[in-house]
Amino acid sequence: MRFDLSVVMDNWHVFARGLAVTVACCALAIAGGLALGLVVALSRISRRTSLRAPASLYVEIIRDTPFLVQAFLVYFLLPRFGLRLGAMTAGVLALAVYAGAGFAESIRGAILSVPRGQMEAARATGMPRLLAMRRIVAPQMMGYLLPALTNQLIGTIKESSVLSIITVPELTMASSIVLGQSFAAIEAYSVVALLYWLLTIGVALVMGALERRALRHRRGLAGPPQARAAGRE
Amino acid sequence: MDFQVRHVIEALPFLLRGALVTVETSFLAVSLGLAVGIVLTVLRQPRIRALEWCSQVYISLMRGTPLFIQILMVFYVLPAVGLDIPRFFAGVIALSLNSGAYVTEIIRGGLSAIPRGQLDAARAMGMSRSLVWRHVVLPQVLMLVLPPLAIEFTSLLKASALLSVIAVVELTRTAQQIIAATFRPIELWLATGALYFVMCFLLGSVTRWLERQAALYRP
Repeated sequence: MRFDLSVVMDNWHVFARGLAVTVACCALAIAGGLALGLVVALSRISRRTSLRAPASLYVEIIRDTPFLVQAFLVYFLLPRFGLRLGAMTAGVLALAVYAGAGFAESIRGAILSVPRGQMEAARATGMPRLLAMRRIVAPQMMGYLLPALTNQLIGTIKESSVLSIITVPELTMASSIVLGQSFAAIEAYSVVALLYWLLTIGVALVMGALERRALRHRRGLAGPPQARAAGRE
Repeated sequence: MDFQVRHVIEALPFLLRGALVTVETSFLAVSLGLAVGIVLTVLRQPRIRALEWCSQVYISLMRGTPLFIQILMVFYVLPAVGLDIPRFFAGVIALSLNSGAYVTEIIRGGLSAIPRGQLDAARAMGMSRSLVWRHVVLPQVLMLVLPPLAIEFTSLLKASALLSVIAVVELTRTAQQIIAATFRPIELWLATGALYFVMCFLLGSVTRWLERQAALYRP
């Protein structure tokens, strides 16, 4: 077993293009998933059953089936309704629908992690509901939301590798292309694994910085370590 | 859109057989994953820096790269180094290696739930180290790690769908084969999704029951 570096050098543009498509797909899917997740999370904590029931059903179905099966369903189901989409659009759509369920659960948990009394006190002092949500609840839920969101983001990036199966030309597809030309399995897969690894580590670092920034008000008396531990409750 | 139940009914016996393979694969993988997790936990003891660092990198790598790549890597790289194993076992190995990284975290969570005071008290009573492990730590940890292990089993059940790519004939691969013969993707994928849903949902109920049991043991 030997590592042939020339395979990596000769095909760097294939890997680069794959990486670009993966980043683009994930960015779009995460943006869509966050919007969807917010709506679903608010529906799930609503008092109306007509909002709560479909939102819960969506989350359960997405969480209890493999993403691969969901991707195949989106890929085959949409054309039946007259929607002729490219692989990439279908892939981003499937990934957004998948990620939305996870985001919804994180956001719901984060909102519920703030004691009810906070909202009630804000309302009692005369704050409108939305303002209280933004000024009182949102800043306090970050300690729960950001770590959960980090896991979801990394999960979405990793799950996006499945999109190569429905022919989206992303990073995993790049390894298949290189493998097809050079039969260098070890080289092709380790480069791609390394790129995914760097991508997820990068996301974790950025989210960690965001988390420290969002929780800087907690450093005052208790000091950072305890404050962080408290934030994960 | 013409949804024909006939196609689902005809395919059902085959799909159920595929589902059985999915369950077998995931169960094997979570069991071997537990073994990997135990080894990693032992290596992670901070006595020897290099070992601790290695297991740290292993866990980060397994959790930071897609399972799909890991499966392809095991499938293509093992033959390249002269190990010719059946694809079913290549798949189980890939799943177990991945699962081990997650199980390590589960074990760590279980161990950290045991208050230090219990160990000190047991030692003060004159119990030997191995006696403390067998009678104080392990019974509690075993009960505490069962619910998260059930969750890990559920997520492997879904993840094992990826083994279809290396042609392990589990539920997803079975569906693909039937679709290739009948050209009814909608019916088959809906039925396949429903079967996964039922399996995961039932396991979810078992997990909640285990969680209630474990709550009684929580120190």
